[in-house]
Amino acid sequence: MNQETAVRNDRDTTSHLPNNQIKVSARKVQVYYGDTHAIKDVDVDIEDRNVTAFIGPSGCGKSTFLRCINRMNDTIPIARVEGQILIDDEDIYDKRIDPVQLRAKVGMVFQKPNPFPKSIYDNVAYGPKIHGLAKNKSELNDIVEKSLRRAALWNEVKDRLQLPGTGLSGGQQQRLCIARAIATEPEILLMDEPCSALDPIATDQVEELIRELKGNYSVVIVTHSMQQAHRVSQKTAFFHLGNLVEYDDTETIFKNPKDERTESYITGRIG
Amino acid sequence: MPFYWILPVLLVIAAVGYVLGRGRAMRSADGDARNLHSLPNYYGVHAVIAGLVPAALLLAAWAVVQPIVVDTWVSQSISESRMQEAGSRGLAMSEVRRLAAGLETAVERGAITAERARSASQSMDIDDLREAVSGAGIALTGNIAPETLENAQRYNRISAVGSAIKTVLVLLLSLAGTAYAVSQTTKEFRARKSVEHGVMALLIGAACLAIFTTIGIVLSLIFNTIEFLRLYPAMDFFFGTTWSPSFTGRGGASQLGILPLLWGTFYISLVALLVAVPIGLFAAIYLSEYASKPVRGIAKPLLEILAGIPTIVYGLFALLTVGPLLVSTFGDDGWLGVDWMDGGTAVMTAGLVMGIMLIPFVSSLSDDIINSVPQAMRDGSLGLGATHSETVRQVVMPAALPGIVGAVLLAASRAIGETMIVVLGAGAAAQISGNPFESMTTVTAKIVSQLTGDADFNSPEALVAFALGMTLFVFTLGLNVVALYIVRKYREELE
Repeated sequence: MNQETAVRNDRDTTSHLPNNQIKVSARKVQVYYGDTHAIKDVDVDIEDRNVTAFIGPSGCGKSTFLRCINRMNDTIPIARVEGQILIDDEDIYDKRIDPVQLRAKVGMVFQKPNPFPKSIYDNVAYGPKIHGLAKNKSELNDIVEKSLRRAALWNEVKDRLQLPGTGLSGGQQQRLCIARAIATEPEILLMDEPCSALDPIATDQVEELIRELKGNYSVVIVTHSMQQAHRVSQKTAFFHLGNLVEYDDTETIFKNPKDERTESYITGRIG
Repeated sequence: MPFYWILPVLLVIAAVGYVLGRGRAMRSADGDARNLHSLPNYYGVHAVIAGLVPAALLLAAWAVVQPIVVDTWVSQSISESRMQEAGSRGLAMSEVRRLAAGLETAVERGAITAERARSASQSMDIDDLREAVSGAGIALTGNIAPETLENAQRYNRISAVGSAIKTVLVLLLSLAGTAYAVSQTTKEFRARKSVEHGVMALLIGAACLAIFTTIGIVLSLIFNTIEFLRLYPAMDFFFGTTWSPSFTGRGGASQLGILPLLWGTFYISLVALLVAVPIGLFAAIYLSEYASKPVRGIAKPLLEILAGIPTIVYGLFALLTVGPLLVSTFGDDGWLGVDWMDGGTAVMTAGLVMGIMLIPFVSSLSDDIINSVPQAMRDGSLGLGATHSETVRQVVMPAALPGIVGAVLLAASRAIGETMIVVLGAGAAAQISGNPFESMTTVTAKIVSQLTGDADFNSPEALVAFALGMTLFVFTLGLNVVALYIVRKYREELE
């Protein structure tokens, strides 16, 4: 509980800082799956209150790297992570860090919408309940409403909060998952191809949402769609074969890439 | 030609048909299999099916119909006086059948010549014949009336003629089928499709056989149950609280109330489920959520060995180990100093052992169900900062719950139908009591004791077994239907 309040106080102090404050800083990160060297020497600085996109061909390691930031790779027995990842200057792979607390601070939205087999309300209330964020029922109600409003879902579901979350449409399910992730008040939101299972209209809604979320969070999004990266992100990192090839402002990456491989990928020559 | 000669001959015809069909197809394609519509083997198999299937069906139908026809025919010639002597036409007819079978066997064993069996008719022959038939090991009761002998001979004559006609017809049909199939064979003929129909028919046949057998079992239960309820009032059976069947000779004093037996059944099943469900479920959660691959690889088969132990061995375990152990704990002079238990056989003994038996049943089914909960749900929960056990408790379990309920209901229906553990572990006293350390008995155990006793098969004391079986069947069927419905609903929800 103390750590929780500490986390929230942190938020208050960071809110005065300028836009390009570094939130996540990775140095010489290596990931191995058994004998496979999946991520090689990745150095990257992710800014607070900005959207950072990871692009690259399939199997290039962008999702793997994303899962390092909230230590989701810990759940895969054969995965091994080396190197250093700092969040707010704290090494998240330090022994003293509890990955469970870390994941409350670093929310994640997955490729396929994965609402729990519970009501819409309970889906959103799940995180706050686990972490004891609400003192009483009415506070919990407030958190649920606020999260659903932020995820632009409130108006569609406010009359059926007790119906199962699995009954929503794909786009609504994904926004429900985003609401669920932001209900625990994370500081960083990781999104692993959040729109790949959605139709264009739902994609548009989620992208609109991402643009709004960047006012409060540091958003990292993995995407297969270069147009999407271009539309929503301020910074873009291009991964290729486990290496971080180029990392720069999105405009620069798309208009004026320095690396030949980046240019080939952007223009569609490799993929 | 005896029956066991027909099959080899049919197989030979089929083999010849295969070779002919395949050969003709190849010839029509000028020896090049690529010109055929189907692969060459299909033409052969097509001929085999045409040669075997209709003939086999005729053979099976004949085997059912012939005895009925012969019976009707012969029984018409039984005289009124004979019928009165034997008691009824059916009994007279069964005498005829027995003698006919006796004559056949005697001839087969060489005790009498076939000629004599056919022609013996004089009353002096009958005694010799009787001796010869008895000598061949067939016991005949009472005297053989000349009329019975005559009818038995007629019976055998008609049967022999019938069998001969059958043999000829079956072989002709087989040959005709093969010939038709071979004559059909050209390179354009779609043998592959006709074989496909054959395969489908075979599969349908297998499914129907299983269903018809079940229906047959249920019907035999129903008819005997109706017979029982005609002899014994239904109200006393379903609502009677005393079970005390009298044995042969003292008829009429039996009290056959099912309630004490049902109470024992459900009490023991409840104890068994209280043991099996938590242990089985926790084992399943450990195996599917926490255990590493090598541990799981060893632990799961070990646990499933429990399911392979014959229930009679569990019964011995209950009788010889668990029972005495419980007595030394809860009995007089026990560790606890309470005098709750008199003998080793009790609800607790049988329930505990049955619970152990059901552990692999619950754990294996639940394990499969927990494993089928999508990984994405666990990721979603872990990604929100839930611990592993929170994830299991609040996300995985609710998602798997309907399936687990189904598994528990299936285990319950096993527990209700279990017999050997109860026979050896629970005792034989049919009583309604709340004390789990007292001896009680179940429906299944009483079915065994009613049918293995020496009660007359038409007495309510024996027929009650069918009524008990029927009641049990209705209960377990209901449980299975509910369980399957829940499991299916759950599958739909996850997909």
